[in-house]
Amino acid sequence: MDRDELVSRIFLRSALPLIKDLAEEQPLYKKLFPKKGVIQLQADDNEGVAAQILFEEGEISVRPGKHEKPDLTLCFRTTAMLNSFFAGKTLLPKIRGLAKIHLLFRVLPLLLGVKILLPNALPEDAKKRALKVKLLLFMITNALSQLNKGGDEEFLKTTENSPDRIFQWTVKDGPAAFLRMKAGKTKAGRGTYTRRRPFVHMIFPDIDSAFMVLTSQAPLVEAVRLGYVVTEGAMEGSKEMGYHMQRVEELTGAYA
Amino acid sequence: MAARETSKGLTWTIADADHMTQAEIYGEVLTQLGEKNEKIVALTADLAGSTKIGRFEQRFPERFFNLGIAENNMFSLASGMSAAGMLPVVSTFAVFASLRSAEFVRTDICYQNRNVKIIGTHSGTSFGQAGTTHHCTEDLGVMRTFANMTVIAPADSFETAKAVVAALETEGPVYIRIGRSFEPPLHQDLDFDFEIGRAITLHEGTDLTVIVSGRPAVSALEAAEIAERNKISMRVVNMHTVKPIDEEAIMKAVTETRRIITVEDHNVYGGLGSAVAEVIAKNGKACALRSLGLNDEYSIVGYPDDLLNYYKLDADGILEAMQELLTAEIEEDEDWEDEY
Amino acid sequence: MPLDENEKERLVAKARQIREKIVIITEKCGGSHIGGSLSQTDILVALYYKYLKVDPKNPQWEARDRFVLSKGHGGIGHAAILGDLQFFPEDQLLDFNKTGSPFGMHLDHLKVPGVDASTGSLGHGLGIAIGMAIAARLQNLSWHTYCVIGDGECNEGSIWEAAMAASHYRVTNLTVFVDRNKMCIDGPTEEIMALEPFAEKWRAFGWNVLDIDGHDFDQVGDAIAESHREDLRPTVIICQTTKGRGVDFMENQKEWHYAGLDSEMAAKAIESVRRS
Repeated sequence: MDRDELVSRIFLRSALPLIKDLAEEQPLYKKLFPKKGVIQLQADDNEGVAAQILFEEGEISVRPGKHEKPDLTLCFRTTAMLNSFFAGKTLLPKIRGLAKIHLLFRVLPLLLGVKILLPNALPEDAKKRALKVKLLLFMITNALSQLNKGGDEEFLKTTENSPDRIFQWTVKDGPAAFLRMKAGKTKAGRGTYTRRRPFVHMIFPDIDSAFMVLTSQAPLVEAVRLGYVVTEGAMEGSKEMGYHMQRVEELTGAYA
Repeated sequence: MAARETSKGLTWTIADADHMTQAEIYGEVLTQLGEKNEKIVALTADLAGSTKIGRFEQRFPERFFNLGIAENNMFSLASGMSAAGMLPVVSTFAVFASLRSAEFVRTDICYQNRNVKIIGTHSGTSFGQAGTTHHCTEDLGVMRTFANMTVIAPADSFETAKAVVAALETEGPVYIRIGRSFEPPLHQDLDFDFEIGRAITLHEGTDLTVIVSGRPAVSALEAAEIAERNKISMRVVNMHTVKPIDEEAIMKAVTETRRIITVEDHNVYGGLGSAVAEVIAKNGKACALRSLGLNDEYSIVGYPDDLLNYYKLDADGILEAMQELLTAEIEEDEDWEDEY
Repeated sequence: MPLDENEKERLVAKARQIREKIVIITEKCGGSHIGGSLSQTDILVALYYKYLKVDPKNPQWEARDRFVLSKGHGGIGHAAILGDLQFFPEDQLLDFNKTGSPFGMHLDHLKVPGVDASTGSLGHGLGIAIGMAIAARLQNLSWHTYCVIGDGECNEGSIWEAAMAASHYRVTNLTVFVDRNKMCIDGPTEEIMALEPFAEKWRAFGWNVLDIDGHDFDQVGDAIAESHREDLRPTVIICQTTKGRGVDFMENQKEWHYAGLDSEMAAKAIESVRRS
């Protein structure tokens, strides 16, 4: 899998699905949802790069891959351009199915809301910060899993021969997410994995600390020193994972 | 050599302890305790020299009874002495204490709940060249099934000392199984907590747990250190008390690591492995278990350390089992779909 | 301590009483080791009603003499005496063998007041008694230990281990009786596993050996006195007895090692005891 495709996985499978979470936060958005409809995003240079936003009974969900009969399709000429779109560049895709353009307008506020995930979005508002932290936790763990499932060579070195291990991120009295890995397989999960003790546990004392670390305003080493995060478990393991978290940022940032 | 008072009033130096064998430490401890408690009497069956209880004999000849090569009667005698107010400590080879005299131990001491302490020396395959007739890979299994019996397998001479003290401070029958000669020490000194029934975590870890009793404890710790260098996080739990077993420590290992290896110088049937399996099965939580020990076989002749290696109870053997266990499947949780 | 006539009469009458109780309990509980309990009765009656220093109101009395019935299957005979002496309410004996009863074929020292050791598996009690005697000596206590062993029981190697040890350690504050009723379960001892020359064996092991009629209180009393006088070797009193003694149809019959009685047989047995 080439770099473009790998990163597209991150955007389409880790970031885009978070619009569901955004919708839960802002019930007003949901009021705009159509009863039924399918919006498809795709890259024209690669069959495998596609995702669908589905509306059903007023609920929204995201699925990877192409839909049989999407109502509206947003086509990007290349995968790189799709990635740039998600990275925040002002790019306009070609739109097929203009008759159903109203669908786009209904979901536009939500799509714009996803911009909260962009690196330069640094809200002061406490609620917005908390939301961003939560979404970032889910996105990062999922992105790491995509690195593995997408065949990223560097990450495979970590997962290939791994025993059954849990990497856990927790905000005290706040959201949590984990990555489970074992013998080449990974699974990103929400909340706390309860079936075994984590191999590495990164604990943020509060939302603000998590915010500082997850938005890369404080590199991990500094963060530990400054008390923004406490790491329990294997030291090397946490360093390794910190390195991969950084790589996710670099990989996605390269398209900005 | 200057003597040093420890908190329990035992007076020998670290230097002494370092090269005293397990059996010698026990003989020394007993003698010290005999000074303080005149009810303590020691019995052996022509093995005063071999079991080192002879130290006690030198100090208290009138409270020492050698019954000759007649183990069965020795245990009856101990029962009677206990009934009449004495505190007998009986020592012979583990094979005789647990097998030859099993009925005497069970009927005269356990059934009648007599305050008698039994030290089985040369347990497991620690008697090396003496071969199967003098080895004992069944004693943990046998003694476990005697109601009222406490069963302890100390890891080294320091633990033996602590175990003897603890045993004498507990009411009721106690069986302590130790090795023979110059087993490498696990602890540096006597400065550690020892409580009957409470396991000691020697090394923290999350990938898997090795639960060990007796002389392989040192090997387990060694294995953990090697594993660590290879980036595997191995927990080592020293389960010195096999009965009553530390259920809490076992269940923590189950829920926090999900993979357990038990190691004992004993048959895989009936001893530590079985005891741990009982706890796991009873609690119903998913866990993969590998039991290292003699695989229902009688031992070959060999130097004791070679035998540990031969039966895969040393660090190499443990690491080998670890490799296999780490990739083993456990029921449930084979869901690798990312969560949304 | 030679007995005067009154004392002897008292003991003989008491022995009859105990034998009667043994029959009654056996009938009630469905079966017992009646043969061996009857043969040992005179020895036990001599001890408990004349020589043994015990206090029924205080079974744990520290200075009491110790008694170990190594032939633990004689438990019903022992219990009958303990009940008669009120170590516990005697009517509890009517529940002998019942589920949850403190009384079964072999008495449990943790459940029956007056019992110093739980025996039943043969070959243990002598060692236990020797241990007690040694402990008494170590603590400079003057109480004495008595032990009754069976003759068939002397097939067990541990008896001879014990004999060797008692001699080696010169355990003289111990008196051992052998209930030499010459029978074991499968038949006469001499046919099953011969013990003779029996007295010689004990002598060879270094014991002071006395050979008496186990149903004669004078001889029992004299033997006990001699045992107390002996201060070099442990003493064994070989008591020539009859299995089933006191009940004519039981005497020397191996079938009565363990058996039950219906009311008719019980009545006959009691009648026989009274005549004996």
